[in-house]
Amino acid sequence: MTTTTQPRQWFLQLLQHAPGADADVALPWLRKARAHAADALAKLPLPDRKQEAWRYTNIDGLLQTNFTPSREELVALQAEDIESWLLEATQSYRVVFANGRFLPALSHFMNLPEGVVIGSVRQALSRDPHALAIWFGQTANHSDDVFTALNPALCNDGLYVHVKPGVTLARPIEVLYLNLEVDAPLLIQPRNVVVLERGARAQLLERYMSTGESNYFHNGVSEILLEDNASLTHLRLQQESRQAYHRQQSFLAQGAQSQYDFTNLSLGGKWARHDLQVRFQAEQAKCQTRGLYLVGDGQLQDHHLNILHTKPGNSSDHHYKGILYGKGRGVFDGRILVGKEAQHTSARLVNNNLLLSREAEIDTKPQLEIHADAVSCSHGTTVSQLDPEQLFYLRSRGIATSLATQLLCEGFAAEILTTLALPSVQGYANRIIQKLLHHVGDNREHIHYATATTQP
Amino acid sequence: MLEIQDLKVNVAGKPILTGLTLQVRAGEVHAIMGPNGSGKSTLAHVLAGRDGYDVVGGSVLFDGANLLELATEERAVRGIFLAMQYPVELPGVSTMVFLREAFNAQRRARGEVELDAVEFIQRVRDKAKAMQMDDALLKRSVNTGFSGGEKKRNEILQMSLFEPKLAILDETDSGLDIDALRIVADGVNALRSPQRATLIITHYPRLLDYIAPDHVHVLAKGRIVLSGDMALAKQLEVKGYTWIDQEVAA
Amino acid sequence: MSVAPHSVEKLLTDRYPHGFVSPIAADTVAPGLDEDVIKFISNKKAEPSWMLERRLQAYRHWLTLSEPQWAFVQHPPIDYQAISYYSAPKPPGAGPKSLDEVDPQLLATYNKLGIPLEEQKLLAGVAVDAVFDSVSVATTFKKELAAAGVIFCSMSEAVREHPELIQHYLATVVPHTDNYFAALNAAVFTDGTFVYIPKGVRCPMELSTYFRINAANTGQFERTLIIADAGSYVSYLEGCTAPMRDENQLHAAVVELIALDDATIKYATVQNWYPGDAQGRGGIYNFVTKRGDCRGARSHISWTQVETGAAITWKYPSCILRGDDSIGEFYSVAVTRGKQQADTGTKMIHLGKRTHSTIVSKGVSADSGQNTYRGLVRMSARAEQARNHTRCDSLLLSDRCGAHTLPYMEIRNPTAQVEHEATTSKINEDQLFYCRQRGLSEEAAVSLIVNGFCKEVFNQLPLEFAVEAQKLLNVTLEGAVG
Repeated sequence: MTTTTQPRQWFLQLLQHAPGADADVALPWLRKARAHAADALAKLPLPDRKQEAWRYTNIDGLLQTNFTPSREELVALQAEDIESWLLEATQSYRVVFANGRFLPALSHFMNLPEGVVIGSVRQALSRDPHALAIWFGQTANHSDDVFTALNPALCNDGLYVHVKPGVTLARPIEVLYLNLEVDAPLLIQPRNVVVLERGARAQLLERYMSTGESNYFHNGVSEILLEDNASLTHLRLQQESRQAYHRQQSFLAQGAQSQYDFTNLSLGGKWARHDLQVRFQAEQAKCQTRGLYLVGDGQLQDHHLNILHTKPGNSSDHHYKGILYGKGRGVFDGRILVGKEAQHTSARLVNNNLLLSREAEIDTKPQLEIHADAVSCSHGTTVSQLDPEQLFYLRSRGIATSLATQLLCEGFAAEILTTLALPSVQGYANRIIQKLLHHVGDNREHIHYATATTQP
Repeated sequence: MLEIQDLKVNVAGKPILTGLTLQVRAGEVHAIMGPNGSGKSTLAHVLAGRDGYDVVGGSVLFDGANLLELATEERAVRGIFLAMQYPVELPGVSTMVFLREAFNAQRRARGEVELDAVEFIQRVRDKAKAMQMDDALLKRSVNTGFSGGEKKRNEILQMSLFEPKLAILDETDSGLDIDALRIVADGVNALRSPQRATLIITHYPRLLDYIAPDHVHVLAKGRIVLSGDMALAKQLEVKGYTWIDQEVAA
Repeated sequence: MSVAPHSVEKLLTDRYPHGFVSPIAADTVAPGLDEDVIKFISNKKAEPSWMLERRLQAYRHWLTLSEPQWAFVQHPPIDYQAISYYSAPKPPGAGPKSLDEVDPQLLATYNKLGIPLEEQKLLAGVAVDAVFDSVSVATTFKKELAAAGVIFCSMSEAVREHPELIQHYLATVVPHTDNYFAALNAAVFTDGTFVYIPKGVRCPMELSTYFRINAANTGQFERTLIIADAGSYVSYLEGCTAPMRDENQLHAAVVELIALDDATIKYATVQNWYPGDAQGRGGIYNFVTKRGDCRGARSHISWTQVETGAAITWKYPSCILRGDDSIGEFYSVAVTRGKQQADTGTKMIHLGKRTHSTIVSKGVSADSGQNTYRGLVRMSARAEQARNHTRCDSLLLSDRCGAHTLPYMEIRNPTAQVEHEATTSKINEDQLFYCRQRGLSEEAAVSLIVNGFCKEVFNQLPLEFAVEAQKLLNVTLEGAVG
């Protein structure tokens, strides 16, 4: 069954105008990648509810909007303008994108150690295209769905990080994807490539933010490659506009004994979806991912995990918690695949949901597909609500219902927040979540309070 | 009964036993002591026939037969019992059913008469009483929800039920209080006979106060470096294992 | 070090003791399906015209549907026109009035299957409705049940003798529009079991039915309807065996359970269909729709299944928890070996307030068996304080088998609580070593441990059948340790 043909037409039209925009990029391997993606774009079905991966997601709104790719540089932005957005003002390497465009003037990576490149993909393309050629497209597969094809076909820039073997970055890399309010709905498609070679270590903080309540479609793809013994600590903070559509597909490939420690805090967007695919390419690697999503009125938060244990001896642990209030809708789909060869795999997936209101809804589907026997795999899911006993306890100590609600939600979220990959960000993360939960607590009409049952 | 000659065993490529020689005759009680990592548990598991241990040299004869060739259950049938350090849980498997199945399996293999349900249950109950184990534990799944002490007592209960020729106790005393220790020792002593032998593996000499071994050996770096009697155990109690290193170096 | 390898071939050939065919003349209709075949079936069973109308309606709907495709289950396409839809044995007289009148060869068949009706009558007092191919042959204990007011008869008889009950309840839980196999079944079902327990009555004995598919290419389409009126209780067991065949045999049954206020229905299945040979040829395809409607307040429906046979199993016994305070339960042990594939699970649909559901699924896979648990727990917006607890565990006995867990949870009520846990692992080496050190062979150890793994489910079966289920499990797993 096909949905409207309009979106595809629109995307194809965009494609026709695209090549001219990147005339400076005349690299055969890149052209080939784009052509391949364009091909896929023309053929792949648009997401609809009959496809398993889109079963619970209604994106008619997105498909009915004609987005314009972001093109112009916004040089008017000054350093002071973004000061308030930054966290690690002086202590991190900083890369800033505005509406998908790299702003070198506002970024800084002084005193980079030998063997480290941080910057934008376009920069890398012009300075050292061969280096990028090795990594670009290595990890991601384009055949999945239309949006995954759309990105490489039309992407224009993104984050580029390359750390040579054995190098440890002492300071975190802070990346700000800022979306500024403009009149027309924009199509923003960063394509990020992060490569840590043998034994390299780095910390990455990505923030997706918006200045207003604009409507745009952020369709990003990230490729992360961790070679043997590399280690990446990664925190993703998504605070997009409440009118925006945000879809990020992350593809991770882990080499032997590599470590990936990831926290995903997903707070904004009208529709926000994060797909994480992890592929183990050797043995003894560890992948630990955590997530917290806050879903309120008119929001749909979608998390998909596809953990591919195709090699033996790796371990992965995934813990996602969601707080749903108002008319919020959440979808969680966590798939762990253990292939025939993947003996001695240890994999665990837990999804806990706190459902606060009558109109909120959660659809969760943790999946295990196991083809090897010497493995230890488990998953667990819970859906619960505020415990009336706990509420009563707080209120009996003089705490108003709204504050009590906020405190209990904070308690629920604490498990994720106290194990944040980057401790320096913890204070900030706590504050914004506190603020959001305060708002939740204040809107009591959106919350369903069950009466405590008396035990016989 | 048991003749171990120059036994060399590797675990995951690492040499753990580096040439162990030991003779245990019927009627004897031997104690093997040693610091952590010396290979005590490895010895116990190799004798019981557990997978994961590579015998790279030496030999083990049990009643004149090559023990290392035999499967785990075959060794059990011939009379070897290992009281484990960390007895595993078997959820859903009733203790009484498990005991009866194992008991009769061993009897069948030896061509002996199996016990019927009524006789067997009575026998087990009597033994449990002697071990001061609550009857209720027999109805539960094997070791499931048992405390550490209850698990160890369950091991000795089984030992007294199966009446093995060679009983190997792998750190049975760890985690037991004085009363439990005494009960375990009583169980072991009750089995002493001229036809049976016992091999007690322990880190601390405490249990030996109650069991009084005939021979005491010290295992260090994969070999037996000193042998003696109870007096040796007493010396260890006073001087500790570092004394052994010095003695051996000398 | 390893134990001497077991001979799988030997065990496969001699482990299926029921492989034989009864040389009884059967009244069989030519293969193929069209309206004439359906009219033939209805005519043979002397059905009233409203029943024929229903069949035709279902058939016409079936023609508009296409077979469902499932991710983990693969089979060669089924040719629905190559199946004969009716096969009944020809008894000497008009119909048996008592066991004495039943064709003695049939009784001998039942004896071979291990269910001698005479013995049954004496022992447990279990009434047996033995369905031989497509027509019920002997229905014992009718008088004793009749005294309690319990109706326990074949579906054919119920259509004739109790039309008002049939018309009121049949297809109200699984309408012919529900799915492909339900439509097919509604069109061509030839027999099955009908049970009605009147208000306040506790059925005095365990009810059970044994099935058997005989003639080549005869699909088995039985239809079962069990109604427990207010305050009543019934425990029902369904167990099946089948002979060896080269062609695959289709089994597309529909079972509907209706529990009114304060009523309880316990439905247990011990299934031992022929699973196919070592290459996966000739086994039974078991595509069943089973659904229980907890229609009344405080009603209780419990499904227990032990599935060890069939080449392909596709069944999701489900509960619609409509009445407030109703309870739905699903306990399952599914064993797959050889090239067996099982895609099974349950759906618990919570509509009423304070409804509870419990799911315990234990999957055991060996050789190249594929075992998938597919479950749905849906809490509707009205399901105040509904509760679900799910536990899915998979045990892998070889490195070539697969175990997959796909639970869907759709929660639309903030007072609902859902807990789901799943684990997948192989038998713990420590546990195996422990048992063997106590003198048990590896096979005996595996058997003990797997039985312990499945204990929680076996405990749900009526006592007599729990023992049979354990034996079945042991026989099924012989030679499975790889």
